Amino acid sequence: MKIAIVGKGGSGKTTISATLARVFAQTGSPVLAIDGDPNPNLGVALGVSAPALATLHGLPRTIIEQHKNEAGETQVALAEPIEAITTQHGLPAPDGITLLLGCQVDHAGAG
Amino acid sequence: MLGQLIEHANQVTVVDMEASVEHMSRGTYRHVDVLLIVLEPYYRSLETAGRMAALAQGLGIQRVYGIANKVRNARDEAAVLDYCAKHTIELVARIPFDDAIVEADRAGVALIDHNPDALAVAEIRHLARRLAEAM
Repeated sequence: MKIAIVGKGGSGKTTISATLARVFAQTGSPVLAIDGDPNPNLGVALGVSAPALATLHGLPRTIIEQHKNEAGETQVALAEPIEAITTQHGLPAPDGITLLLGCQVDHAGAG
Repeated sequence: MLGQLIEHANQVTVVDMEASVEHMSRGTYRHVDVLLIVLEPYYRSLETAGRMAALAQGLGIQRVYGIANKVRNARDEAAVLDYCAKHTIELVARIPFDDAIVEADRAGVALIDHNPDALAVAEIRHLARRLAEAM
């Protein structure tokens, strides 16, 4: 089940997202929580500590590959399996949740 | 990128989306099973939610549900219910205004750790069961 939560800023969507993720995780489902907001707060709401959150970074653009199909249309795809992406870039959160920052970063200065 | 992650995720996936309506694109939402729209009992929140619901219908998302949040009293509840009825949004949860949320936020901890028995948590547990049944 893939659930997206939207609402006006300040509507409480982050608290609801985090609590829903924790409830599913406590009932035994492995849960992937993705923060799709460019001003990320989902980690705190999930209960991840501030020092752990400081190690979490946005996903590099290199996880996406672009190629043109026979019709000349640009197609995008993940460059690696999702498991590799969550293992490499995800942060463990309470109840076995994996947290990903869904926004792209350019990794300025990272070559 | 978000759309690709959602497409390939193979576990229960919860995505806290960007607040702006303009960023609701087909590519991001193509593989979303359930879209939850949070509605507060205030005019601007309801209007934003209404625009999101209309867009979601255009994007072809299978299940689009409303969640009332910060409901303090019967008038708040009526405001959200009226809006949802007029805009054909199916309401699946009514989360009360809960001081536990304010306190958890202030302390920088998870609501469910701060008070696992809070009324808001109980309603979200109920929501999780409803969503699991709807799948």
